Amino acid sequence: MLHIQNRELVVPGQLIAEGGYRVHEGAFREGEQVYASVVGLADLRGQDIQIIPLQGRYIPKRGDVVIGVVVDSHYSGWILDMDSPYTGNLFVSDLLQRKVDLVREDINQYLSMGDVVVAKVKDVDERMRVQLEAGEPGMGRVEGGKLVKVSPTKVPRVIGRKGSMLNTLQDVGECRLRVGQNGRIMIWGRDPRMINAVVEALLMIEREAHTSGLTDRVHLMLEKIKSEGGE
Amino acid sequence: MYKIVSSVKRDYIADLVRQGKRIDARTLDQFREISIEVGPVKSAQGSALVKIGKTQVIAGVKVEHAEPFADKPDSGMLIVNAELLPLASPTFEPGRPSENAIELARVVDRGIRESDAIDLEKLVIKSSEDVWAVFIDIYVLDHDGNLIDASALAAMAALLNAKPLEDEAWTLPEFPIQKKPVAVTVAKINDKLMVDPCLDEEGVMDARITIATIEDGSICAMQKGGIKCFSREELEQAYELARVKGSELRAKLG
Amino acid sequence: MKKPEKLIVDGKRLDGRTPDELRPLKIEAGILERADGSASVELGANKVLAAVYGPREMHPRHLQQPDTAVLRCRYNMAPFSVDERKRPGPDRRSVEISKVTREALEPVLFLELYPRSAIDVFIEVLQADAGTRTAGITAAAVALADAGVPMRDMISSVAVGKIDDTRVLDLTKDEDNWGTTDMPIAMMPRKKLITLLQMDGHFAKEEFGQALDLAFKGCEQIYGAQRQALRDKYAIKKGE
Repeated sequence: MLHIQNRELVVPGQLIAEGGYRVHEGAFREGEQVYASVVGLADLRGQDIQIIPLQGRYIPKRGDVVIGVVVDSHYSGWILDMDSPYTGNLFVSDLLQRKVDLVREDINQYLSMGDVVVAKVKDVDERMRVQLEAGEPGMGRVEGGKLVKVSPTKVPRVIGRKGSMLNTLQDVGECRLRVGQNGRIMIWGRDPRMINAVVEALLMIEREAHTSGLTDRVHLMLEKIKSEGGE
Repeated sequence: MYKIVSSVKRDYIADLVRQGKRIDARTLDQFREISIEVGPVKSAQGSALVKIGKTQVIAGVKVEHAEPFADKPDSGMLIVNAELLPLASPTFEPGRPSENAIELARVVDRGIRESDAIDLEKLVIKSSEDVWAVFIDIYVLDHDGNLIDASALAAMAALLNAKPLEDEAWTLPEFPIQKKPVAVTVAKINDKLMVDPCLDEEGVMDARITIATIEDGSICAMQKGGIKCFSREELEQAYELARVKGSELRAKLG
Repeated sequence: MKKPEKLIVDGKRLDGRTPDELRPLKIEAGILERADGSASVELGANKVLAAVYGPREMHPRHLQQPDTAVLRCRYNMAPFSVDERKRPGPDRRSVEISKVTREALEPVLFLELYPRSAIDVFIEVLQADAGTRTAGITAAAVALADAGVPMRDMISSVAVGKIDDTRVLDLTKDEDNWGTTDMPIAMMPRKKLITLLQMDGHFAKEEFGQALDLAFKGCEQIYGAQRQALRDKYAIKKGE
């Protein structure tokens, strides 16, 4: 038996359902009862219960694409801050996708402190030690552009269903975006005015993530700014 | 905790500044939105909550009996203390006051003390024995840059809000304020000067200068910070900014 | 102010409340920009802020626990929060309150989800009128939820006591000074499990039970305000 409606806002400890439901993130079971563990929106699909959190820090998961900042180095690689409780370790061999002779090659030529890197979570162990890799096309060190930050819980909304929101941002905003699951987003574009417009749009998505018709509103807003032309 | 600013952010801010623009679309001589709420803390003699953008600082004034310093038997005392609360930023840690907290308190202190904002001679109850000590406690609640200006403004607003003490030794009709010093901090990024640096700008600024002025535009305290330098022309330009912006801030004190 | 002859006259307390009445209560969630989660609680003349940072990397590293997050709490009073200026920095009282606050909050947190990390709770009392530790815990629980830290339940907290031989809810400073008993309590409102209990003064056998009844009633009301504060912050605003 369900005690709440789908998409209802719930708070920690709130009773959601009783019975044999499958319990996913944001909820927990005590005997027959299922409760919310976070502030979020209930996502109820058949026998599956999940609470979509509205707040919270990024916790790395294998396969996630993240945007990291180099904060330290060691003899065979770098430590990346991911705006998470956990840093990521990137071996030079996982950046270059080849064996590296550490005696002959100076790895400092590849990355320095403060560099921004697009990487993928290769592995997370039970103690939350994170290995990264950055060999795929489009990964590795980032050049130029603007780095912005949204709450990691809003990333699915920034991407949208089948990438619809991301397409709108890129096509109408005339910018190229790279979205990290950790909430960091890189924006590249020719017109600083449109870059700022996309940043505005991202802030709007973050603010109104839980409302409907958002993609259309973002579209309208970007079109409007575009039609206003230069200063 | 040392914070590394990403190269992308540094380049982006520097690039905007080169065009005379800022990351939050302000002009170089523009403060963020400022609000002053006076008297939020009733347990204090006077108090004020100042917001500059997302930065929030609360200041509380307490007045107590004290024995004067031996070399100043006929003067009340002023003690300014600042707390960079760990609540206000992920980089603030609990424990003894950091050098930044001490610098902040001392810069605010100098502005108030050197301008004679408080008529300390009126705060004497009995020469060499009993005077009033004015404590200004600055509480940083949310750190999004430019703590000095927000703190100085909060301290001054709290002093102006201070009520006469309910104590038989207190004989003054009101709290003896005679000047309104106001601090304006000017940051330098890539040879451009700007007022009221936000946190992102502080993260990449080369240097800053804080200039406290009083009503007639004269200077009562200054403090340079940061690891790079200012030319003479830049200092004159910074003073002009501080004078003009200072009078705008002062108007907000009422 | 001198101690009045009676603290309860015709069933009314000095501030006009009945014995089982809470002071005016206002809770707001998400009031600070930098913190991961935050809340303010105003209860009568009390003004308390709480901020949560985390889960975040634990420093110093030797305090990391391989299989769980570590909860750290700091309760602190502003120098201007009380009549006589309080010297800044921790004293024995605030160290003890910080400890019992941590123990009051920890039972509801799923700390095991975040190995090696730290969750920091900072409580700042801006204006004090008795009951600051319980107001701080109430605020901290809302701030933890606001930070997205998974919780089994809320924690709601209030003090009860005895004045003029009557059990009363939520004592003011005057009542605390002149009354005989003060008992701060924190509980999980859903399961009615107590996570903080301190007491000084005197309760006869049956009085203790009556005081607990009052505390449960008070916490129920506080719990409602906590949930409302979270809903108000996140609710879909009409017209948007």
